Order: sequence, then C-alpha cells, then structure tokens
Amino acid sequence: MRALLVLATALLPARARAQRIDSIPPWQSAIRTIAIDERLATDAGLRVGDRVALAAEPGQAIGDTVRIVAIVRRRADPSEVARSEYRVRTHLDQLQRIIGYGDRVDRYAIATAGGAAADSALRRINAVAFGFRAYPSREIAVETSKTFLVVSRFHRAIGMITIVASATFLLCIMLLKVDERRRDVAAMRLMGISRATVVRTVVLESSFVALLGSLFGVGLGFVTSAFVNAHYQAVYRTPLRFAIITPDTVAYSVLLSLVLGIGAGALAARRLAGTPPLTLFGR
Amino acid sequence: MRFQLAALSLRRHASRTILAVLGVAVSAAMLLDMVMLATGMRQSFASLLGRNGFTIRVSPRGTLPFDTEATIAQARDATVAMRRIAGVTAVAPVLGATIHVLGGPNPVTAFALGVDPAVQGDYELLEGRDPMAENALVASDALLRATGARIGDTLDVAIGFDPQTRTYTGRRRVTVTGRARFTYLSAEDRAAALRLASVQAMGGADRTDRVSLFMVRTAPNADPEVARLAIERALPRVTALSTAGAVAEAERRLSYFRQLAFILGAVSLVVGFLLVTTIVTVSVNERIGEIAIMRAIGVSRSHVVHQIVIEGIGLSVAGAVAGLILGVFTARYLNSILRGFPGLPDAIDFFLFQPNSALRALALLVASGIAAGIYPAWRAASLPISATLREEAVG
Repeated sequence: MRALLVLATALLPARARAQRIDSIPPWQSAIRTIAIDERLATDAGLRVGDRVALAAEPGQAIGDTVRIVAIVRRRADPSEVARSEYRVRTHLDQLQRIIGYGDRVDRYAIATAGGAAADSALRRINAVAFGFRAYPSREIAVETSKTFLVVSRFHRAIGMITIVASATFLLCIMLLKVDERRRDVAAMRLMGISRATVVRTVVLESSFVALLGSLFGVGLGFVTSAFVNAHYQAVYRTPLRFAIITPDTVAYSVLLSLVLGIGAGALAARRLAGTPPLTLFGR
Repeated sequence: MRFQLAALSLRRHASRTILAVLGVAVSAAMLLDMVMLATGMRQSFASLLGRNGFTIRVSPRGTLPFDTEATIAQARDATVAMRRIAGVTAVAPVLGATIHVLGGPNPVTAFALGVDPAVQGDYELLEGRDPMAENALVASDALLRATGARIGDTLDVAIGFDPQTRTYTGRRRVTVTGRARFTYLSAEDRAAALRLASVQAMGGADRTDRVSLFMVRTAPNADPEVARLAIERALPRVTALSTAGAVAEAERRLSYFRQLAFILGAVSLVVGFLLVTTIVTVSVNERIGEIAIMRAIGVSRSHVVHQIVIEGIGLSVAGAVAGLILGVFTARYLNSILRGFPGLPDAIDFFLFQPNSALRALALLVASGIAAGIYPAWRAASLPISATLREEAVG
C-alpha cells in the first residue's frame, strides 16, 4: 500500500444515533462500511455499529466517515506474529480514493480449481500479461517463509544441544543408579545367579526407570507446551500455536530415553557383573 | 589437605567424574549461550542505532522507520522546525524508494535512499566520494556486482514502472561516484544513495518535499528524551523514537528470543545443579563409613563439610571452564544460523560475548555447585559416628 491508511479514531459523539443506524443492514446503509480486526477493536474500544473517520494522513481534517460492520479475527499467520499493526478492511474503490491510488491494485489473488487448472491459468496469465507477473501461491509461500526456515534451523540446533545435555545427564544418573546396586548384585552373584541374568535384570530395571521418566517427561512437555502457547498467544495476540507435541516428537523422545537408559544400564551392569562379589561388598 | 582429599575422592570414580563434568559443561555452555542471546541482541541493536550519534528517529505518526511506505509531507518545514529545538545539532532527512537500473538484459532492482550527504548516517563510504552532485550515486557492493558497474560508470536508473504503458518513470542517468557499506542493510542488499532532491524529483509529485524518515542528532549534554518530546509537540504528524525507545520496541518484537534464552538458561542452571547434587550425594553415601572413621579419629565437622563442598565446586568449576570454551563455539554456530534472517543488517549479532555477562553466568553456575554440595556435606557432617561405624561394620 502506497500510503498509510490511518484510522482517525474520532468516534462520532452520538452513539445512540449509531445504534439506530446499526439496525439498518449494511447494504441498505448510505454510509460506507468497514471491518476492523479484533486487536484494533480492543485497543481503541470500538464496537460494531461505531462510526469512525478514515484518512490517508494523520491529522487530516477531512476524512471519510464509515461504519464498522464487522470485527474480524486474524488468521494464525506466523509472518504477522511480531507485527503489532492494526488491520482495517475497506471496499477497494474507497481505499483507492482515500489514498489517491487511482484504478490500481497491489495484487490479485486468483482462485482456481487447483492442480493442472492452476498451472494452466498461470501460463495463460503470464503469456498475455504485461507489466505484471503471476506466481503460484506455493512459490510465494517459499519466499515468505525464509524467516521461519531460519527460526526452524535455530530451534533444531538448540534442540540438539538440549538433547546432548539431557543425554549426558540421563547417562550419568543411570550409571549412578546402577552403581548404587553394588550390594544387591553381589548378593545375587553369591546366591549363584548367573552374570547374564544379573545384567538382564539391571538392564530391565534401568529401561523401566527410563520409560517411566520419559513418560513423566512427555506429561511435563504437554503441560509446558500448553503454558507456552497460552503465554505467547497472549503476548503476540494471535491464535497461532507456538509449541506442538506430535506423535513423532513423543516417539523420538521416548525412544531416545530408552536407548540411553538401556545403554547406561548395560554398561554399568556389565562392569558390576565382572567385579568379584566380595569386592562389591567392600571386603 | 582438604583439596587433596576432595581431588582423590573425585579421581576414585574417574569415569563418573568425567561424565559429570561433561554434563555440567554442556549445561554451562547452554547457560552462557542463553546469556549471550539475552544481552547480545540489545547491545548489538543499541550500538547499531547509536552509530554516528543519531539519537532520535522521526517517522510518520503511528509507524516505525521504514515499517510502511508512508512518508512525511512538508519535509523542508519539518527540518527547520526540528533544527530550532534546543539540543538538536543535526537533522538528516531520508527518503526511501525502489529504483530500477536499466540497460542490461534484465533491469536490476535496488533500494535507494535519498539523503543529505553532509549529515547522512545511512552509509559508510568505502571508496570514492559522496553523491554531492545532482546525478551522482553511491552503491553497495551487491548492486555493483549485479550491474557490473564500477566507480565512474554511468547508469540508467528509473524510480517507477507504469504497467499500463510498460514504461519506466522518473528516469535519469547517474554516475557512480562511490562504493559504500549501508549501515542498516545486509551485505546482500542491493542499495544506492543519491541526493534527497534527486530522489524526490525522480518520484514526481508523489514525493515532492516528502521524506520517509528523519534522523536527529542531539548534543552530548542534551537529554534525547526531552528533544524527542519537543519534536512530537512541534510536529503533530510524526512519531519520534529515541534510541532507547527503538531498542525497547525491537526487544518487544523479539521478546520470544529473550524469553527462550531465560527459560533455557534457567533449565541449564537447574540441570547443572541437579547433576552436581546427585554426584556429590551418591559419592557421600558411598563413603559414609570413611567419613565416620574420619570423624572418629578427630577430624572436625567443618573439615568434612569443606571437603565435600570443594568436591561440588571442583565439578562445577571444571564444567564451567569447559562450558566456556564449548559455549563460545556453539554461540558462533547459533549466531551464524540466525544471521541468515533475510535483510538483517550486517552489524546485528544475536549472540554477543561480553566478558562481564559471561563471568556472571559462570559464577552463578559455580555458586549453584557450592549450593549443591551443602546438603550432602551437612548430612555427612551430622552422622552419628558410633551408629554409622557399627552399621558399616555389620553391613
């Protein structure tokens, strides 16, 4: 948009009159109508039926008086998350007149039957058009999603560091946990239980602990993601979900935890099973 | 003696100690990175805005600089009005526009800035001279590369395109007089700077006496906030933003990264603390008999406490030192990822190493190591000597 569209929030004084106009359906009203977004409605204290003045410049004395007929909620669009601007939807001809844009538009959005129809429409438009170019929506999506690709790569890198940290922590805890069982293992060995059975028992126990821990972790993940979503949805005033736990995420974390638990258990159990029982007893 | 005993105790379970140090090192690296992320953006952005001494940005009311295509009308009068304000030492008007460099097989599109070369703060001249003449232009390396032009060459540029008649508008021939680095743009951005009057003239009636932004320099002894308020009072159609305000706005928009840094930093600290607590507690539990014997032969309670706390500190310090090295490398890697944001100015770094912040973070980790050793130390020192010895002997 070439010029800034300013909504001069000069609410016209007679609300009673506005309410009366509100009873008239928009298409029968002599006054032009607009839709505003929820954010603007909340911040400026505007409601459906209110009348406001629209101008292209701040402080411009003459503006178009319009009536708000709808308050719309924004879609969950990640590209708009950090932008705190307000949105007003007007009739095209009215906006063109207010900002002195003439009979021009910034872009067209074209709906097709999809698939081959979209490609064919694209080819035909680009063949006959001059001065502008048609792009498939997916191409635009790729261009505009570069920021999110960077954020996604950053998250993946942070995730890797977190996994290394938690894996080291888990490995350490599992080794200690198994190491604590020195006396039990010594007793089992003295009772005649084979080394293989001792190793299997310890590995089973450590994998059970890892499984239990990871299930607890998944529960904690659900709670924290709900908190993260609630917090950032409020901060950025968007319905966008910031943290999503997918079955893949759950499977990956449980599997990783199990592998580490079993690995650490096996490592420590083999070491314990290889040590003479009396040494384990400290004798 | 205490240090020696603590070292021996840690060395007794070498693999366990190495693993614990590794765990603390990864936590310390994460903590350091998050501290660098939380403070780096702010410092880096403030330093970028503070370059050339411009402390206030003035944009069309309700907008941030170059956030929209809105412009400020009657720019000349606004400049005069701002120059009259006490504390204001310079006013640099800037008009942004898209230009098309013609002549090649395909026109090259670039971002052009109309500036007053005498007071501008948008670019740093690397070679050649400022665009003092009406038809002069300085270009970024990216634009020179894209057009194949060099200093002294003449370019055919236009500021608009009429799709109906398929003609370029606001066309003129300009000479490249210099090569510049644009402060607020990325190295990949094709950019050019011309005289303000040239860009306004090329833009036709739409841009006559209009600017996108004013950058205002204030005297070192003047309060920018006072000047900012005076500007907004004098010019009701503008929003004046001080550097502090701009940094606060940027922080608000990027609060996600700061909060992520805070959460992950806190988690790292807790993980480091838990790791050291667990290791020291288990180590103490294994040596209950030894500790009881030490106490029985007259070793003081404080000696036992000190020895165990030193073990915790040892693990934390070793982990923190390793974490410092690891953290600097991972921060570089993470910074290189975030520097991939399209259009990010070259001078912006998300991770900025500041010795004071780094030391504070690592001191916090070491303090958590001390705290981690206190509970097992207290527990060990308060053992009933005879009962423990009997239990250990009987088994």
